[in-house]
Amino acid sequence: MTNAIRLRNVNLHYASVAFRERSLKSLFATWFSQSRTKRDLTDIHALKDITVHVKQGERIGLLGHNGAGKSSFLKMVAGLYPISSGSRDVRGTIRSMLDLSLGFEPDATGRENILYRGLLLGLSPRAMRSMEAEIVEFADLGEFIDYPLKTYSVGMQVRLAFAISTSVGGDILLLDEVVGAGDARFMGKARARIMNLVEQSEIMILASHDLTTLRQLCQRGLVLADGHIVLDAPIERAIEFYEEKFSK
Amino acid sequence: MNYLSGIWAARYFWWHLSMSDLRSRWRRSFFGLFWSILQPLGLTLLLSLVFSRIFGMRITEYAPYILSGMIMWEYVAGSVIGGSLAFVQADAYIKQTRHPLAIYTLRNALTGLIILVTASLALILWVLLVMPQNFGWCWFAALTAFPILGLVAWPGATITAYIAVRFRDLPHALGLIMQAMWFVSPIYFEAATFRNGDLHVLVDYNPIYHLLQIARAPLLHGEWPTLANYAWSLGTIVILGVIAVLVGRASEKRVIFYL
Repeated sequence: MTNAIRLRNVNLHYASVAFRERSLKSLFATWFSQSRTKRDLTDIHALKDITVHVKQGERIGLLGHNGAGKSSFLKMVAGLYPISSGSRDVRGTIRSMLDLSLGFEPDATGRENILYRGLLLGLSPRAMRSMEAEIVEFADLGEFIDYPLKTYSVGMQVRLAFAISTSVGGDILLLDEVVGAGDARFMGKARARIMNLVEQSEIMILASHDLTTLRQLCQRGLVLADGHIVLDAPIERAIEFYEEKFSK
Repeated sequence: MNYLSGIWAARYFWWHLSMSDLRSRWRRSFFGLFWSILQPLGLTLLLSLVFSRIFGMRITEYAPYILSGMIMWEYVAGSVIGGSLAFVQADAYIKQTRHPLAIYTLRNALTGLIILVTASLALILWVLLVMPQNFGWCWFAALTAFPILGLVAWPGATITAYIAVRFRDLPHALGLIMQAMWFVSPIYFEAATFRNGDLHVLVDYNPIYHLLQIARAPLLHGEWPTLANYAWSLGTIVILGVIAVLVGRASEKRVIFYL
């Protein structure tokens, strides 16, 4: 089976109840106060009428300002956000690296967390144990690997998370900015590793503000603005368009 | 069916989460695992000292009644109240991967069940010492209390987890509700006390009574649980299960917006 992503007229709304005050207290309060005039927050229409086909082997770059919908787009493709209309058809296993530092158990050691994270990603304990040594070596945390996670600095956590997430491959790779934190030495290593992962994946979608990286890694570019796809073109065209339209 | 296979596919994950909960619970304490036994045991001694005086009962026989009520009720109430925070605690996982959400409440129910099993060792030992005549084949029935309680706690926790992710102050309200349920059920007070006070309703039509009876009848009286006990227990499981499935089907996808 070939890997592919087919999106047709996809809309995504963030439900507004999620950011209103939510408690039993406020629920009862609205029941008792009859006036329902205050309704200042409405649903956010985050992605509007998105239609995209991605074929096997494509490398796609997402361009757009903060809030244009890049992350929403990635999370929608990953299946984390439910679409409100349209159709979403994704074939292939997805490996998303969107919020790297999320999801550690603070009381467990680094080594245990490697196992948990791997299991979170759907691997078996045996597979994880065989990869552990390699992950420990790449994260390069020294003796800290046997300390509880809560003793780690933010940078160390990111390194560990990165080492784990990048050691597990997938058909469809979703990336939100290539590498965030980490010192210079680690950045170099991380870059090489990401490139390797990108090469192995069948489909890659990368959201980034780093135009050099986009040029290097992608062939096709999608420019997003206000939830719409305003341009779908080869990456050079897309970058040109983005620079001339949005960065003045 | 698809949903269940998703839970099965993620089995390594929730199993390890549960084990990690247990480890972190026992990690930095000298007695470790034994706290789960010592704590209810100590409380039982204290309570039965007082209650046996008030109600004029023999402490050695009243204490296992209290202990059995305490550990089983603690498990159900703890799962329902603690489980209400299951999604909120697991937000980092929910935001990254698409596992069935029921695994996060299963994690709570499972952790609690293992603690219950540990704590019940003390109860069994006590009964063997004080009431050895009760021992017999019917004790196999007492073992069925574990899966039955687990299947009550899991959907119970799932329902409250869905509500609590929408209404964050639910755990406080739940504490009150569980306390009220505790008060009107024969958990620490004997069923006879309710019957004497002409409150048969609180015993015969109370699923909590029937649930506890599955372990109590064999252990404390050397009898098989009645068919009614099992019927009420299974009925509770089915009703909670159906509600959990309906609530889940309606709102599982939207949970991520509330985190």
